[in-house]
Amino acid sequence: MKVFRNFYKTAVTFCALTACCMYPHTGQADPGFSFGNAASGNQACLDCHADAHKINKKSLISTGAFNHTTHAEFGCKTCHDAVSANHPRDGKVARTTTCTNCHGDISAEYTTSKHSLEVSNCSACHNPHKVLKPNEISALAMTATCMNCHSLNKIKATHAQWLPQTDLHLGAITCVTCHTTAKNYIVSVYIARRNVKSDASSPIIADYSYLSKKAGSRDVQFLVDRNHDNYISIEELKGFNKNKENGDLYLKAILTPTKTSHAFQVSNKSWNCTFCHAGGPTATQVTKLILPKHDGTFTGLDVETGTSITSLNAIPNFYMMGSSRNNLVNKVGALVLAGGIIMPVGHGFIRFLTRRNRRKE
Amino acid sequence: MKPKLVYLQPTPVRIWHWLNALGIVTLCISGAQIRFPEFITICGSYRSAILLHNTAGIVVALSFSIWFFYYKWVSGALTSLYVPKMNELSYPLLRQLLFYCYGYFKGASSPFHATPDSKFNPMQKSAYLAIMFVIVPFVSLSGIALLNIGPIRQILLMVGGLQILVIVHFLLACMLGAFLMTHVYLATLGSTPLAYFKPMWTGWEKVEHHDNTDEQPGLAE
Repeated sequence: MKVFRNFYKTAVTFCALTACCMYPHTGQADPGFSFGNAASGNQACLDCHADAHKINKKSLISTGAFNHTTHAEFGCKTCHDAVSANHPRDGKVARTTTCTNCHGDISAEYTTSKHSLEVSNCSACHNPHKVLKPNEISALAMTATCMNCHSLNKIKATHAQWLPQTDLHLGAITCVTCHTTAKNYIVSVYIARRNVKSDASSPIIADYSYLSKKAGSRDVQFLVDRNHDNYISIEELKGFNKNKENGDLYLKAILTPTKTSHAFQVSNKSWNCTFCHAGGPTATQVTKLILPKHDGTFTGLDVETGTSITSLNAIPNFYMMGSSRNNLVNKVGALVLAGGIIMPVGHGFIRFLTRRNRRKE
Repeated sequence: MKPKLVYLQPTPVRIWHWLNALGIVTLCISGAQIRFPEFITICGSYRSAILLHNTAGIVVALSFSIWFFYYKWVSGALTSLYVPKMNELSYPLLRQLLFYCYGYFKGASSPFHATPDSKFNPMQKSAYLAIMFVIVPFVSLSGIALLNIGPIRQILLMVGGLQILVIVHFLLACMLGAFLMTHVYLATLGSTPLAYFKPMWTGWEKVEHHDNTDEQPGLAE
């Protein structure tokens, strides 16, 4: 019943808001609405909905953001096919399609989560006119979506009750890293800005305009990809850290799910830390350098794999206990311990052979 | 020569020693699980290993601080007990080394006899100098730093990052582990395998009495 009540309440609210914004706002005579011809695409809708002078804020659409979405490729009419020739004077809800019509699998997955009992509408988290693909948004943007409802201070306080190094963890993972059923993870490396005022839980990822100033006439990618081969080697990561021209920039790694799941839940797998930390070195082998683009989205570049990812200085502030250990250091440690064993074993052996010499008369 | 009982290890020292021993063994086991969790699960979950390691680490660091404070400022015997003198680093050190490498196998008695004022032979002093003045302080400090990454992360980035700190902590811990094995083995080299363990439990050590009053303190003929 609670689910039904929530859904009903959300639907009524959505209808009311949508109906309100359908009325003209300029007071001019309206010739009536048409989606226009195929060549004009979404332009007939955006003539009004992208113009802040013609439409209210809630129905305003950013043309740049919308055109970048996959939804724009399908066209406005795909979801809003109930728009009549009298739109917006008829005051009817312009939407007839729900997210579930296309994203049924995600919807089914989402309803299995406890989260769906509290929030039943997709638009609470996703704006269909701005939504980006998971690989186009930054890890911090993923978390920022959660922060719309969950306060950082409260998150810190509840996690600090059981999670050691809470700030470090929160700064090195996203909410969905633990609170979904994702099976595999990648180490996403960002270019971040040092700021003594920000705590470890809130790193500051450098945006495109900041990095482009640093890069000068070059593309921001070449700040790290020095040989312009669209591939990041460990040497290039190390080189970035050593390059004094980069000033206040550093490489910040965040563990993100390879495939984001919508089965949000209080993740039992995370309680004892074993799930992440006992994954072994393979858990940190897939790495991508995530760079901001001029349109506000992000793109990923492959980073060299292998145990060398954990080498000194590659990503100096990322270390996942138990997983990102360095094999060379392990061998040195084993040699040190072997040195400690050799003496007792060797001495003990000769001691055994000469035991008669120490027998008391 | 006749055996004589000497009260060598006072109760606070024995409590400190065994607390330290328990703490360091716990640190070694839980530390091994923290670094190799897919192979070692002796402490249960990873979280249990972390909590155990953190707790034992704090206990050992506090224990070390108390030890240092007591010997440096209360008894004032820190230097005389643990720092070898220059004259001990030549012949006495060589003589002790020869005993362990040759004389012991021939059935000779140790050239060093402990007294309350001179408990350690030159080799022990040299080893403890490295362990108690270098390895334990640095492994403790690196551990404390690992417990407080948040406040010091900017400094850490300047010196190479968290990985450097972890590597330093791990290698120092390996050195401590190596010492531990040698330490336990050497403790079995008394007149009986448990001869040196008993004084650390009861406080009393059975030493051979020497009538020669000319010998240097702690050094036998």
